[in-house]
Amino acid sequence: MAELDEVTRKLTIKLVYYGPAMSGKTSNLICLHDLLSPDLKGEIMTLETHNDRTLFFDLLPLGFRTPSGWLVKFKLYTVPGQVVHDATRKAVLSRADGVVFVADSQRSQGVNNAESFQNLEENVGRVGLNFEALPLVVQFNKRDLPNVLSETEINERWSVAPWPLMMASALKTTGVRETFIRLLEAVYPALDKNFSLHEKLDTDVVSFINAATGESLGNRS
Amino acid sequence: MSSPLSMRQQENRLEIGVRGYDSVLSLRELLSGVVPEKLSAALTVLLGSSVRVVSADGGWVMGEAPVLTNTARRLPLVNELETVGYLETSSSDEACVRAVMIILESFMRSGARYFMASEMHIEVVKTDYEDLQRKHSALMASEARFKALAEQLEERVKEQVNTIASARSQLYQVDKLASVGQLAAGVAHEINNPIGFIRSNLSTAQSYVQKLQGVAELFKSSSDTALCDAWQSDDLDFVLEDFSTLLHESVSGADRVARIVSDLKGFSNVDQAEEELIDLNENIRSVCNVAANQINSRADLKLILGELPPLHCKSGHLSQVFLNLLLNAAQAMKQRGEIQLQSSVEQGQIVIHISDTGCGIPPEVLSRIFDPFFTTHEVGAGTGLGLAVSRDIIRAHGGRIEVDSVANAGTTFSIYLPIDRSAS
Repeated sequence: MAELDEVTRKLTIKLVYYGPAMSGKTSNLICLHDLLSPDLKGEIMTLETHNDRTLFFDLLPLGFRTPSGWLVKFKLYTVPGQVVHDATRKAVLSRADGVVFVADSQRSQGVNNAESFQNLEENVGRVGLNFEALPLVVQFNKRDLPNVLSETEINERWSVAPWPLMMASALKTTGVRETFIRLLEAVYPALDKNFSLHEKLDTDVVSFINAATGESLGNRS
Repeated sequence: MSSPLSMRQQENRLEIGVRGYDSVLSLRELLSGVVPEKLSAALTVLLGSSVRVVSADGGWVMGEAPVLTNTARRLPLVNELETVGYLETSSSDEACVRAVMIILESFMRSGARYFMASEMHIEVVKTDYEDLQRKHSALMASEARFKALAEQLEERVKEQVNTIASARSQLYQVDKLASVGQLAAGVAHEINNPIGFIRSNLSTAQSYVQKLQGVAELFKSSSDTALCDAWQSDDLDFVLEDFSTLLHESVSGADRVARIVSDLKGFSNVDQAEEELIDLNENIRSVCNVAANQINSRADLKLILGELPPLHCKSGHLSQVFLNLLLNAAQAMKQRGEIQLQSSVEQGQIVIHISDTGCGIPPEVLSRIFDPFFTTHEVGAGTGLGLAVSRDIIRAHGGRIEVDSVANAGTTFSIYLPIDRSAS
């Protein structure tokens, strides 16, 4: 659940990149850091082991100030994908406002994707969130690799799922920004319902997303 | 594994005061890894002028006294998009100031990393610990369940063993009684015939003696002196009189044998499983006859038999109970004493007390005397089944048997048998 502080006029939104090990969650964050140019952009904080696998999580802070003086802060987290780090995944997932599930498009990764997605569903329940209502975008990453599932196959397999399906290649910087925007489109209505953002922050979904991605405000850094 | 659990986890976290890896950090916390005096001294050297680091709210200061002169500058220190403090310096060397800012923000980043990693570590350890505890308590619960089951099992096995033991004791006793009964019936039958003709012959003999006595007068009043002398010298007067007495005693002896044989037959009816309507006092009397020989040498038997209504029962089995108790009472006599057998009717029950003035039963043994195979006798001297079987027989008749004993004063067994079993 996002935190809204009336005194310091600050809204903090937590977004989590979930998925199996090595599916490119950290790459998504690195790519977003390079692609986006919001008002405020922090450095990526990585907590990794010596072999470059995420130990606890990565954190990318992004944010902007509204004309009325509100600070809107996004904290983008990744979870460690390895099965053993389930407690960490639960801790990162708790109080999340939205989730991107980063799946590995390679044919060999079908089982890992499925297990991780089931783990996401279970953990969402365990940390007290409602899976039905949770803003979620499913991204199939590594589209640039050979021997991946075709888009038709993926669409067929996920045809009954209610979540947006995005194709991406984080290393080629394609689809990552679009995934983030789709997530914000899903998150904004939920936040607006809870906090009346349109009244308090004087925003709508378009201006909110533009400010978060730095689209129309231009690059001020 | 539902949401209430995680709510509880969150409450726990609040209680214990863990801040969480994603909490907002102050400048002081971000720089907690450095020694303030050393860092500010180093920064002063690098900038070549006085320097101060102040938190955003001004509450925490590192460095010299205020340096706010005309030329002083105030640069924001940013963590996670937010200004958490300021660097104040009067240095005008732009490159040096920027270098110092980079150093400070690097320290802050590493402080933040350390903080987040340690908080996450605590959180993960806590969750794992809670998981372990939950599993542990689940294990404990299942262990307790199995333990309870095991105990129940033991109890049930014990119950089964008891059932089998008492069934075996009854079988054993019934078998024994049946063979004794058969033997007794056979012997009784064999004795019955000869005793019948002995008895009848004795009666005939008595009538013959009477006839002889009638003729005796003729002999004595005869004039034949030789005959009279012979009569006198052989003392035939006495012979004739004693003959009659002898025959009379033999008749009553034969009668007694006949009675014992018939009692033995009735008593040996144990394998006859049919219930019959009998007067229990008759049973008691016949048992006393059978046991008389063993009792008479040790005790005086006193019967106080009240009038009893006829009872539906397996008379052979009840006789066995009375015999057991009578023989036990006789065995309890260290010196000659008294055994009293009393029957009466109380509140719809036939009550039979069998009291002796024997040695009594020690209190530590009293609670076990009805246990199958419990015996105070030497191995081989007693089966330890008598009282167990007696109790089973009384119970089978819907009644109960009680014992009351005073050491060295005597023991009383009381048997209560409902007259109308369907009413009880």
